[in-house]
Amino acid sequence: MIEVKEIKTPRRIPFFGMVMGMVTVFKHAFQKPVTVQYPEKKDDQGDRFRYRIYLSTDDCVGCTLCEQVCPNLSITMMTHDKDNPRNKRKIYPSVNFGTCTVCRNCEEICPTDAIYLKDVFETSRTRNSFFYNPVELEKDEGDVIK
Amino acid sequence: MNLLTRIADIFGFLGHFPAYAIAYIVETLIVIIFGTVAVAGMVYLFRKYMARVQIRIGPNRVGKFGLLQVMADGLKLFQKESIMPSGRDDLAYKVAPVMVFIGLMMGFVFIPYGPLAWFGSLTVTHSDVSLVILFALIAIMPIGEILSGIASNNKYAMLGALRGVAKDISFEVPMMLSILSVVVMASANVTNPLDLNGIIQAQSIPFIILEPLGFIIFFISMIARASQSPFDMGESDSELVTGNTTEYSGLRFGMFYLGLFGTIFLGSMIVSIMYLGGYNGPEVGYLGFVWLLIKTMILVVITLTVWLSMPRVRIDKFVNFGWKILLPLSFIQLIAAGFLTLGGIA
Repeated sequence: MIEVKEIKTPRRIPFFGMVMGMVTVFKHAFQKPVTVQYPEKKDDQGDRFRYRIYLSTDDCVGCTLCEQVCPNLSITMMTHDKDNPRNKRKIYPSVNFGTCTVCRNCEEICPTDAIYLKDVFETSRTRNSFFYNPVELEKDEGDVIK
Repeated sequence: MNLLTRIADIFGFLGHFPAYAIAYIVETLIVIIFGTVAVAGMVYLFRKYMARVQIRIGPNRVGKFGLLQVMADGLKLFQKESIMPSGRDDLAYKVAPVMVFIGLMMGFVFIPYGPLAWFGSLTVTHSDVSLVILFALIAIMPIGEILSGIASNNKYAMLGALRGVAKDISFEVPMMLSILSVVVMASANVTNPLDLNGIIQAQSIPFIILEPLGFIIFFISMIARASQSPFDMGESDSELVTGNTTEYSGLRFGMFYLGLFGTIFLGSMIVSIMYLGGYNGPEVGYLGFVWLLIKTMILVVITLTVWLSMPRVRIDKFVNFGWKILLPLSFIQLIAAGFLTLGGIA
């Protein structure tokens, strides 16, 4: 026969649990709020946080590896007339940030490190303006006019 | 020299009787403004305290520290179209919120506020039976809630009102018995134990020390009277949409809302008068009102803590609790109060 150990529970005192609960609730009132008042104050991101994709058109050789590796077709190649001897076909990636999942495959695969990501994340735009062409990808976020 | 005579002196050119009549009206207006401001402050305090307990910040956008948030909400309610259900009982539907609000405001008039600095006593009126009058006045408010439930032509409102009635009758009797034991204790020392002033004067030792059981019963009853969280069966916002206020909108809803928070403030004030010695304290002739406010605010914070930490009691559990626990306890308290009075301890 299996002997079942009886777990000793402390004797229940009426209303004691309620009062302890109230004390806990009252103590919470003196804790620092976790809310961050976003536009005025910004919370620290982690060191490895990345969001916005940048493109250096001087380095891009138009190999289309980023387009092939993009898991949800956010990157499409696009003709951009720029005098770059290493990019004879004159095709450069363009990014739809509406579908980009920030998997960073494009950054990893890029042979010339032309595509890279930064921790800029304030890219709010109105509807249907998430599409960045190569010129816009090269600019800072503040300079992009949509 | 109290506030009433000071106001009457200003209107002294009208003769004795008209001056005092106007002084009473002016002081009643002051009290109503005080009541409204106190209720608005209660709403702000509740929102801010609830936010801090939940480790949030709370209203902080409208005005400095969000102080004007309540005013903004009031304006919003004021602008809203009042949508009324068809098939309502028109008169009862419209009278109910006014009844709740007026019952609350009349309760504020009979509170003995005590003296404050240069103004003297702030008490508006006093009667030999002001205790009875006060409890008769705040007993008007549940009638408004019941009327609103019946007149709305809505099943949720009706169920909420029925629950409210069941809740009200199960704590009213223990509450009245605990008041009776206070009166018994006060009658040992003063000649007017049914006067709230008399009860305060009788408390050279606050009654919370002499009858802690009565304090607990009365405090629970006052929380139940405000129909807030552990005892909000009338509202039951997760089961009945919002109970008896379901069909109300705009300013009429605002009156019910103010009634809820006002009852917490008024109830805390009554508890501090009955059991904590009201305006008694050091420098009573100068700071009496401040002592009353401090005691009230401590009780308000305790009440809000109860609100935020406890879930709603099921209605049958509360009825059991009222009739099987609170009522026998209040009888025991009454007998104990009798013994204390006869033994000359009080």
